Amino acid sequence: MSGYLKLAGKNLLRHRTRSALTMLGIAASVGVLFSVLSFNKGFTEGLAVELERTGLHFMVVPSGCAHEVAALVLHGAVIPKFLDTKVMEHVIDTAGIDLATPILVAQLPDPQRGKIDLIYGVDMSVLLAIKPGWEIIGKIPEQDNEILLGYEVAQHEKLQPGDQFSSGAGTTLLVAGIVGLTGSQDDAFVYLPINTAQKLLDHPSAATAIGVKVTDPTRMVEITDALTAAVPGIQIVTMGEVMNSISNLAASARALSLAIVLIAILISAVGVMNSILMAVFERTQEIGMMRAVGASRRDIFRIILEETTILSLSGGLVGILISILGSRMIEAFVRAVMPFVPSGNLISFDPGVAAGSVLFIFIIGLCAGIYPALKASKINPVEAIKG
Amino acid sequence: MIELKQIEKSYRRGAEEVRALRGVDLSVTAGELLAIIGPSGAGKTTLLHILGCLDQPTKGEVLYDGMSTSHMPESELVQLRREKIGFVFQQFYLIPGLSVFDNIALPLLFSKKPASRSKIMALAEMVGLEHRLDHAPAQLSGGEMQRTAIARGLVNDPEILLADEPTGNLDSENSDKIYTLLRSLSQNGLATVMITHNTELAARAQRTVQIRDGLVHSR
Repeated sequence: MSGYLKLAGKNLLRHRTRSALTMLGIAASVGVLFSVLSFNKGFTEGLAVELERTGLHFMVVPSGCAHEVAALVLHGAVIPKFLDTKVMEHVIDTAGIDLATPILVAQLPDPQRGKIDLIYGVDMSVLLAIKPGWEIIGKIPEQDNEILLGYEVAQHEKLQPGDQFSSGAGTTLLVAGIVGLTGSQDDAFVYLPINTAQKLLDHPSAATAIGVKVTDPTRMVEITDALTAAVPGIQIVTMGEVMNSISNLAASARALSLAIVLIAILISAVGVMNSILMAVFERTQEIGMMRAVGASRRDIFRIILEETTILSLSGGLVGILISILGSRMIEAFVRAVMPFVPSGNLISFDPGVAAGSVLFIFIIGLCAGIYPALKASKINPVEAIKG
Repeated sequence: MIELKQIEKSYRRGAEEVRALRGVDLSVTAGELLAIIGPSGAGKTTLLHILGCLDQPTKGEVLYDGMSTSHMPESELVQLRREKIGFVFQQFYLIPGLSVFDNIALPLLFSKKPASRSKIMALAEMVGLEHRLDHAPAQLSGGEMQRTAIARGLVNDPEILLADEPTGNLDSENSDKIYTLLRSLSQNGLATVMITHNTELAARAQRTVQIRDGLVHSR
């Protein structure tokens, strides 16, 4: 350790509480900065994985809000509009379609149990094509009276494959299988053949959306244009658009969070400046002595600047550490307050983001230290020694 | 070695112009122990600061080994202080967070010289603090603190040691020890200039100069 650094460190240790509080202020700011940046990265990556898992290229939905569609694709939101399944015929007739399946998502109240079931009607023969990541305990329903339960539903209702499930419409269904834990909203649904769902809802030819997979994704624009021209009253939303739609919402939240973080960093920088300035004023005579025994103005400037460097760097590192240790808590909080959160780790440790956050606070700390360091270097040794 | 020629020093204190020194002539030679006495406000400390190149005179000339410091840039004055001058203060000004060893070695940091353990140990032995090197200043007595400060003043092997009331905060026993130390340093060839209010110690110095109203009255 250089003599200057050792001297700067010892100076900080003379006022342990003040130094620790200043350092914690920096740590809090850096911790939040790192969390926000890591969250954004984790969120975007999680979102991409989630969309990849759907196995679909686009959705055909009734004309409406793109955000509703995004919610439907990702967590099965209930949209109060239906498509007629006759649209399916047009979709299938369109060239370049590999797979098309109607999806019916709805709420089904059960007055007897005092609950509302979230049902997800789908063509069971293509289930694994649109949910390729699923692990199924038991089997995929083969009969109209068979269903598949999301992990949470099965846990809550204490049901196993082979058990009976009573629906709100008074029909008793057989649990064919249970979806393994996905960590996403998929865990909260009851999956059943679309015909059964249509009957239970009393909408014999309704679908919330038609999920489509094309044979050649490079021809997607051509295919969607052809479909839009052929069928009036529909909207086509590609997975890229869904991702953009959600990313835009997340980006707005991130911009707001970053603005708050920057204000917090500014406040902690002022805290550093204040703390170091106080130390300079308290040590005026000592600085005069150092000038007398051979310190140049540059030496004094360097000592003070190294004090701010130590505070900033240690605060930065502690902030990253706290943020990593508290990432599970932050994730739990975000999952509780945000309408859609992809499964997987939202806050992923990225050394680049961590180093960037520490570098950022290091530069801010240096800037905050320049004024006190200049002030100290300009102390007149004669006046200082006189006291 | 050091020669002051017609040194005048004025400064402003509010609206008032203070003439701290009014034409002082003084020379200090190697190995000399010079005591400067005089009432408070007479200009003793101002004279010491000019001798130590911490302050510049308003008029007159300071010659170090025949070389004038009047037009030296700040960087050369810093170099002069590092290489040729040692300072000792009444309030010691030890850094509380550093050990006795590190306090003694502090000037070496600024002169970019290594803090050799043998050198610091030799200085500590000379001032009788070899058993206190790892102690913090707060664990030392007043006399020990001043001896640490003297060792710090000597660490760069200066040609002159300037001591501003080095016994001002000490009892008579410790004052005597410090004086004996300064005396032995001058006998070994170090020019030592000591400001003191202690007339008994001043009388024991090789030469005594009295400052009153910014003028040297006796030598």
